[in-house]
Amino acid sequence: MLGSQVKRLLTGVSDHGRQHLLEVETDLVQTAFLLGEAVEKLGASFFALHAAVRAQQGEVELLLADIDVDDPKMASLRVLRDEIGQHTNEAVTGLQFQDLTSQLLARTVQRIIGLRNVLSELATQGGELPPEGEEDAIVTMLNEINKKLDTQSIELRDLLRKAVHQKDMDSGDIELF
Amino acid sequence: MEKTILAVDDSGSLRQMLSFSLKAAGYQVIEAVDGQDGLDKARLQVVDLVLTDQNMPRMDGLTLIKALRAMPSYQKVPILMLTTESGDDMKTKGRAAGANGWLVKPFDPQKLTEVVKKVIG
Repeated sequence: MLGSQVKRLLTGVSDHGRQHLLEVETDLVQTAFLLGEAVEKLGASFFALHAAVRAQQGEVELLLADIDVDDPKMASLRVLRDEIGQHTNEAVTGLQFQDLTSQLLARTVQRIIGLRNVLSELATQGGELPPEGEEDAIVTMLNEINKKLDTQSIELRDLLRKAVHQKDMDSGDIELF
Repeated sequence: MEKTILAVDDSGSLRQMLSFSLKAAGYQVIEAVDGQDGLDKARLQVVDLVLTDQNMPRMDGLTLIKALRAMPSYQKVPILMLTTESGDDMKTKGRAAGANGWLVKPFDPQKLTEVVKKVIG
């Protein structure tokens, strides 16, 4: 009786766990896809805007070359030009968000797949439990299952080295060797 | 004559931002989608600078750097890592592989072009 109950528990944990993890994986993959689409659209709009502003600046300079414009107005235009340059740099830095977030999402999806495999193993091992065996035999098998789970968990952890530590989108350090 | 930079990264959006920034500064840019593509393109044309990510499919950045340094034509070409990795152990590996510098993402276009100018003019 104990064996069959434990078997049922392990199978239940495995099945429910894997079902929910599959949903999580699907949502994360969809999130990654939407972020990719978003950055594509943002990028295209940004480049188009930038090209238009550059063209407009060019036209303004051509116009100003033909007329007598006082220095404060010219200085003001130069300040605006510098501001545009600064905002452009900030936008380019910010638009790199998708590279960082896609790496984090990919790592999370890998972990979820790994977890699903661990839960599958739980069901497989649980299937080998004697349904009506002695308690000692059941305890021994459960210990074996625990050892296998520990090993799989360590393997998964080693596979998923954290490569993205950024907590904000400020530009990173530069070091020349 | 315009200097040429090989930009290696598996992220399309990142390559776009790199190309935009470097071209605005007057450089020619060749893009590669991973380390293997970068190596193939480096063999076709010797560039003035290589900018490479680390974590890429098919061939990672460190492996690419080692492969480039094994080529006589790339022994003196500056190679900079541009990556999310910031740990000292990775930087040590990068330096040992032959990288000349380490830039942590995200990059600022002005700072990037200043470094590139410093390295290749």
